[in-house]
Amino acid sequence: MMRVPAHEQPTGVPLRTSLLAGLPIAMCMGVMALPELGHAYAGEYRAFYAACYLFWIAPLSLLQRAMWQRGVPARISIPLLLLVTYIPSVINNALAQAAAVHWGLVPGYEFHRIFAGLDGCWLALIAFCAIHALLHHHNALQCSRRREAEATALAREAELRALQYQLHPHFLFNTLNSISALVADGRGNDATRMIALLGDLLRATLERSEAREVTLAEELSLTEHYLDIERARLGRRLQVDMRVGPGVLQALVPPLLLQPLVENAIRHGIALRATGGAMNLRIDRDRDALTIELRNDGVPSLEDDHPRDSTSIGLNNVRQRLTALYPGNYTLDFTVAADGACTIRITLPLRLAATTAGPMARTA
Amino acid sequence: MMRVMVVDDEPLARDGVRARLASHADMRWVGEAGDGESAIQAIESLQPDLVFMDVQMPGMSGIDALRRVASQTRPLSILLTAYDNFAVAAFEIHALDYLLKPIDDQRFRESLDRARAAFRQRTHDGHVEPPKAWAERFTVRVGQRIAVIEATQVDWIEANDDYAGLHVGSRAYLLREPLHQLAKRLDPNRFLRIHRSTIVRIDRIAELEALSNRDCLLRLHDGTPLRASRTYVDQLHAALAAR
Repeated sequence: MMRVPAHEQPTGVPLRTSLLAGLPIAMCMGVMALPELGHAYAGEYRAFYAACYLFWIAPLSLLQRAMWQRGVPARISIPLLLLVTYIPSVINNALAQAAAVHWGLVPGYEFHRIFAGLDGCWLALIAFCAIHALLHHHNALQCSRRREAEATALAREAELRALQYQLHPHFLFNTLNSISALVADGRGNDATRMIALLGDLLRATLERSEAREVTLAEELSLTEHYLDIERARLGRRLQVDMRVGPGVLQALVPPLLLQPLVENAIRHGIALRATGGAMNLRIDRDRDALTIELRNDGVPSLEDDHPRDSTSIGLNNVRQRLTALYPGNYTLDFTVAADGACTIRITLPLRLAATTAGPMARTA
Repeated sequence: MMRVMVVDDEPLARDGVRARLASHADMRWVGEAGDGESAIQAIESLQPDLVFMDVQMPGMSGIDALRRVASQTRPLSILLTAYDNFAVAAFEIHALDYLLKPIDDQRFRESLDRARAAFRQRTHDGHVEPPKAWAERFTVRVGQRIAVIEATQVDWIEANDDYAGLHVGSRAYLLREPLHQLAKRLDPNRFLRIHRSTIVRIDRIAELEALSNRDCLLRLHDGTPLRASRTYVDQLHAALAAR
């Protein structure tokens, strides 16, 4: 059923891995120390720096993680990290000099050496930050790839459901039956017309793009194909009024958003009325949202107050697909009046497709 | 009188075209062919004025067959296709029109009208018919009374069985005249066929959005969305570019 992409942990890399990222540098420090072993106190000196380094990477990795979490941009985080790594290096140097003075290894404090001569620790800490950032980046990449794959799988599932819906055998066989009735009735012209319309609908269905979203124009076109057949079947009992606001034909909507709703409105509303009825579709933009309102005449519900089953199946199908595509970012309301008239209101985030170089470009 | 030939690899499909031609007294069926090679031979020996040519046939395609006929002897052609993309090639061989299978009778009649016009032009060598008087107003029955609708008020027209639905603002009036007949009385500078069941007033078009299958979706100034089928899209662009 419905799957929501698993959210990665906000920091991505586990803390343990962050700390382990410090080990390669520590090993490098060991290797660099090798030629100096045997010199007076060089070993101790290097060991001290290594210990300091290992001590500082803990708060440093926490700081880095905190910055990723808050999404601090690189132009701020990089200078900040350079500064933050400089401070421990100075502290190390100060401690090392204090120790050296304490044990009488050097005659006195040399302040310039406290603020310079930082190769021991500063570079190592910067290298740690770089490795840590690399790990984080790699992890983020993996996560986004995984999420993308999940979204694709989800879209394919929706596509499949949509396909099953649109090639609903019930609709197909009913249409074939209508055609057969026309032939039996000697209405050859009406029959060939209905066949042509069914051909158009199938063609439009097969030519649909594989995209998880289509433009409103595409969706309206498919809905019109479907309406052609219902018009042929219901004649003047079906009155359709559709109005679309300016600038929304390129809005992206999930494929087969409208057609099942329109089919519901006709099958379970207008077609049940002896006198026929009207269906009004209004699509417009409301600031950053696309609003869709579908209203249709119906018949008062006899047995209970619940909407009819197949209506709810159609609605659930649409609702599920909307949840998969726009989690928490859409609304869908369905109301039935006492006289059976139904109204569906949907709002979606408004996003426009990039302008396509279609037949418009060909005329040049 | 036009001499017509039908090429399709399926006998039933040929019969379908032939049966539809039978109701047009000015169309005379002169022969048929079931593949590209024999179509070329038949065209050269029979010299038809018009050929209905199926595009997808085993072996040589209908388009290739037409290409192989010298352009001086090449007849007017209407392509038949079930499902493919070949608009560019159709343009290249100067096909008059293309019909999608299953064939719609109304659309078929329209293709023949195009063929007649092209044929007249060919035989009379550019002789132009005197301009017709275009319909200025329509009378429709609204309940018990008769209303007069000016052609300039009409936004778009929709086929409704043997009636034409004239859309004026938010109202629709039924005119007792089939769309394909009404189409001939409308000023082509103002009204344009965009679908077998739709005619639109050109200056009411507000937006046009191309679809992936080469159809178009129009939006009128009053918000009505209308579909323009691919077979009319070129004329639509030409009409819009002319303003």
